[in-house]
Amino acid sequence: MRKTILAVCFAFTASPQAQAAEAWGIEGEKLVEFSARVVDIACTLKNDCPPDCGGGKRLLGLMTEDGKLRAAVKASVDFGGAVRDLLPYCGKTIQVDGLLIENPAITMVMVQRMRENASQERRKTLTFQADWDARNGKSDEWYRNDPLANKVIADDGVYGIKGIEPPKQ
Amino acid sequence: MLKFLLTASLFGALISAPAQAQAPRVQVKGELVDTWCSVTGIMFATGTAHHMCAVWCAVGGIPVSIKDQQGNYYMVLRIAEDDENASNPRYAKIMSHEVTVDGELIERDGTKYLFVTQVRDDQGVVNLTHDENGIQPFGN
Repeated sequence: MRKTILAVCFAFTASPQAQAAEAWGIEGEKLVEFSARVVDIACTLKNDCPPDCGGGKRLLGLMTEDGKLRAAVKASVDFGGAVRDLLPYCGKTIQVDGLLIENPAITMVMVQRMRENASQERRKTLTFQADWDARNGKSDEWYRNDPLANKVIADDGVYGIKGIEPPKQ
Repeated sequence: MLKFLLTASLFGALISAPAQAQAPRVQVKGELVDTWCSVTGIMFATGTAHHMCAVWCAVGGIPVSIKDQQGNYYMVLRIAEDDENASNPRYAKIMSHEVTVDGELIERDGTKYLFVTQVRDDQGVVNLTHDENGIQPFGN
């Protein structure tokens, strides 16, 4: 019995599925895990390089070991990008897992988890939410309570056209 | 001798520096979309029906792209002198707009990146999709 329990425990800890990327069923997606250097995309392409990868105001990418630039477009937070998660590692090499989306029109990465090296546990990319909560107070739906988003929607309407509003429920 | 060494090292540095290729200038017309929802097709993601979600995504730091009528995506990395391209309030305010822009295009590893030099035209939101699709993704 003890052997069985140990075997089950080992299966869970050793299984690559336990921490692998999660599929979303998106056309052209691949589950990936790779090492890459965190870069400011505009800096890489145009040599326009503010300090610290733009300090959170620049889109960040992942430069793979074979020299491919992958835009990191999404994190694990609803409606949230990966800039806040990657920013502390500007210029450094990290390990990420997530989805590589290879659409004929664009190639991009959703970063689901990351770690500095293989000896660390992977952590989910939730920094945008943590930073938002620290600035605005905890919310399960940050997007409905964001001051900027709410101002834009209040100014121009839910549809983006002043004067056209959804019917009242 | 010193002058010779300085000249030689400067010349060496010049010829060894990687050449910055001139990016082609293009004019692009299309809708400003949030790149994640639009590309992945996880929901209906254009026009008025998706405007609110597009604003949330722009504020959340998801890249903003111009999607043209042929289905090309141009990820916007700059608008004129404004080089802040993540969670930029300026982008949030023009989501879903139909724009015509001039810019420099750099294609790399399957993605088109656009450095907008001039916004020639901004029609506002003209893609009326809400009658058919409601409000995406959560409905009215």
